[in-house]
Amino acid sequence: MPKVTVDGQEIEVPDGATVLQACELAGKEIPRFCYHERLSIAGNCRMCLVEVKPGPPKPQASCALPATEGQEIRTDSQMVKTAREGVMEFLLINHPLDCPICDQGGECDLQDQAVAYGRGGSRYHENKRAVTEKYMGPLIKTIMTRCIHCTRCVRFSEEVAGVDEIGALYRGEDMQITTYLEQAAQHELSANVIDLCPVGALTSRPYAFEARPWELKKTLSIDVSDAVGANIRLDSRGREVMRALPRINDDVNEEWLSDKGRYMVDGLTRRRLDKVWIRKRGKLQQATWEEAFKAIARAKPGKSIAAIAGDLVDCETMFAARKLLGAMGSGLLEGRQTGMDYPADNLAAMAFNSTFAGIETADAILIVGSQVRHEAALVNVRLRKAARRGAKVFVVGPQWETTYPAEFLGEDVSVLGNLPAEVAEVFDKAERPAVIVGAGGLAAGAFEPALALAQGWSREGWNGFNVLHTAAARMGGLMLGYAQKGGMAEVAKAEPKVVLALGADEVDWSAFDKSLKVYIGHHGDKGAHAADIILPGATYAEKDGTYVNTEGRVQFAEKAVFAPGDAREDWTILRALADALGVEVGFDSFAELQSAMIAEVPALGVEGLADLGPLPKAAKGGKGKGGTISYPVADFYLTNPIARASAVMQRCSAELARGEEILEAAE
Amino acid sequence: MKFLAKIFTWWDGATIGTLLHSWRHGEHVGTDAQGNRYYRSRRKSADGRERRWVIYEGANDASRVPSEWHGWLHGAFDDVPESHLPPARIWEADFTPNATGTQGAYLPQGALQRGGRRAAATGDYEAWSPDS
Repeated sequence: MPKVTVDGQEIEVPDGATVLQACELAGKEIPRFCYHERLSIAGNCRMCLVEVKPGPPKPQASCALPATEGQEIRTDSQMVKTAREGVMEFLLINHPLDCPICDQGGECDLQDQAVAYGRGGSRYHENKRAVTEKYMGPLIKTIMTRCIHCTRCVRFSEEVAGVDEIGALYRGEDMQITTYLEQAAQHELSANVIDLCPVGALTSRPYAFEARPWELKKTLSIDVSDAVGANIRLDSRGREVMRALPRINDDVNEEWLSDKGRYMVDGLTRRRLDKVWIRKRGKLQQATWEEAFKAIARAKPGKSIAAIAGDLVDCETMFAARKLLGAMGSGLLEGRQTGMDYPADNLAAMAFNSTFAGIETADAILIVGSQVRHEAALVNVRLRKAARRGAKVFVVGPQWETTYPAEFLGEDVSVLGNLPAEVAEVFDKAERPAVIVGAGGLAAGAFEPALALAQGWSREGWNGFNVLHTAAARMGGLMLGYAQKGGMAEVAKAEPKVVLALGADEVDWSAFDKSLKVYIGHHGDKGAHAADIILPGATYAEKDGTYVNTEGRVQFAEKAVFAPGDAREDWTILRALADALGVEVGFDSFAELQSAMIAEVPALGVEGLADLGPLPKAAKGGKGKGGTISYPVADFYLTNPIARASAVMQRCSAELARGEEILEAAE
Repeated sequence: MKFLAKIFTWWDGATIGTLLHSWRHGEHVGTDAQGNRYYRSRRKSADGRERRWVIYEGANDASRVPSEWHGWLHGAFDDVPESHLPPARIWEADFTPNATGTQGAYLPQGALQRGGRRAAATGDYEAWSPDS
């Protein structure tokens, strides 16, 4: 632990820390453009210059200088001030003065630091350099004249995303950042370079010229596009969510967000259910709430009522439905819409037990039936980190493009029963072996053999059995009992008179021909087309709610905007429905609903990782079953009703996933 | 009928009392294009000013006084418009009274009476319908 002096203040810094980190520990602000905590050190912007003794008698770039014993660092001397002013002046030589029309305005590092550390005026009278714009796909807008060559985007796509797509051409002042052959950046995290860009060179294309940061209301929320539960911030103006940005949470998403979570928000204003519809003589017709409730009561469901939870619903909605069904005397709850049927009595066996931060430290990873890149792009980042640290990755399932070296062991689950000797040896020798079972693996019956494998490789203080779900609502649903033995088939066999579909859009409704299908949801998708009665509900942005991610991490999302038209928050619909059906559910407000939920499932009351208990013992002889794995996510950009309604996601799907040629409108 | 209306209503033109007053104390100085008649008092008041008033042809709506007569009526100038102002140019639009509350009232673009078509704004959303 070297001791250094920063501006006369002596502090101890961890081994391997840089001078910049030492200054930050001492509470000094060091301006920087190229340095980023989660990327490698480049040292090319020179903004972080400080005075260091002993050393050459000139300012040093603190980000790339290791802190050593007895260093005297000064961040407040005249030399440092002049050096910063000089660097800023050079940066601004070729930076256009177009802040008033720049989308980064108001949240621009260069703008802020020019005010804080730059000279008062310009001494530059010559011509500025101009750079042609580059095409980086439907999400990233480029104005490359503004680029200051920090290379954060290059380092991000190379190190974090794992695809060598963005790079630099030419040298010195003429350097240009571009994508390979000016193709669109084709990975699931591409838009993170927009956040990384310290200037306005890479900005968001769908959000171009939409709003200024200071006119937006910021709401803390949780991403529902996958089961990772990334922490996001919804920026809204009036009744519209303008954009979603990642929040920093080292346990979940670090500071990244998948493109789907970021850009499906424009789907919140399209194809919305904003009226009550009732099917009369085979045709959906507009109706009032009263008519709809009367129609449901007329079906006299009694005990014969079922609830099917969709992929995006919050725990409160699911709990309200469970209460309603409980009051009616039914327990027909199901959340696994596609008919998956795996034992859900032990929640620990259903969770990502290693945790996302923990999987980074694994040294041998077996992925069973999960195309992690598309099912949980942010977990893929962790797996890549593990692989960069030396972990060996094996995949059971059809081939997909990994962003790290991985060996594919075939598409059939039966390979788990007899792993090749060299693979088995890797895991036997590993200190932290991990198994990740995806939705494809669960559907193909890989749960039992994978659990048996993980228990064969158990290590002290390490839980290596992981299930990677694909739906944001799944883990919460399992905690609330949204799982029948036998899955959807069992619900269909019970032939319920009334089926409450809570945003369930992936269900095969042909099995419910005789039931009155009541769809409570927010988007006109497959579920709404099949429904007999549609009650308009709220999206994740329009209601408070608790979500549990695939780790079993309980997180709370806040309401950002109001639901459009006649739509209501889902729990209020279920509460009103309880009145119409003449039963008592025991809550009249959201707070009462929440406390009732926490009383029944205490784990949902504490934010953070829920304690799910020990893993069950794997059943003997579960090895023989075999099935071919197929992945549930066919198109990364169109996995949920909000994304399917989003014009941006549709375009991404056409251009990036299906590779269609889209002509740019002449500007 | 017109005679009865003159006795019992007050919203068109002058009442009997005003007409009587105008006949006894007023001097008719001119008539504008709409037929409104302008009067001034024959005798000046104690502070040396003359009173000026108008009797409308039709509805008693102050915005029906055209701009040229407005100045005279409010004492901005003493000469009546015909002798004081240059003749109207051909490019000058005819005077129109305030249309608020009438059929001809202005409706902004996007008003429901105009079909409700307006430019997109924050918070707009596209509703789903079963046919889509």
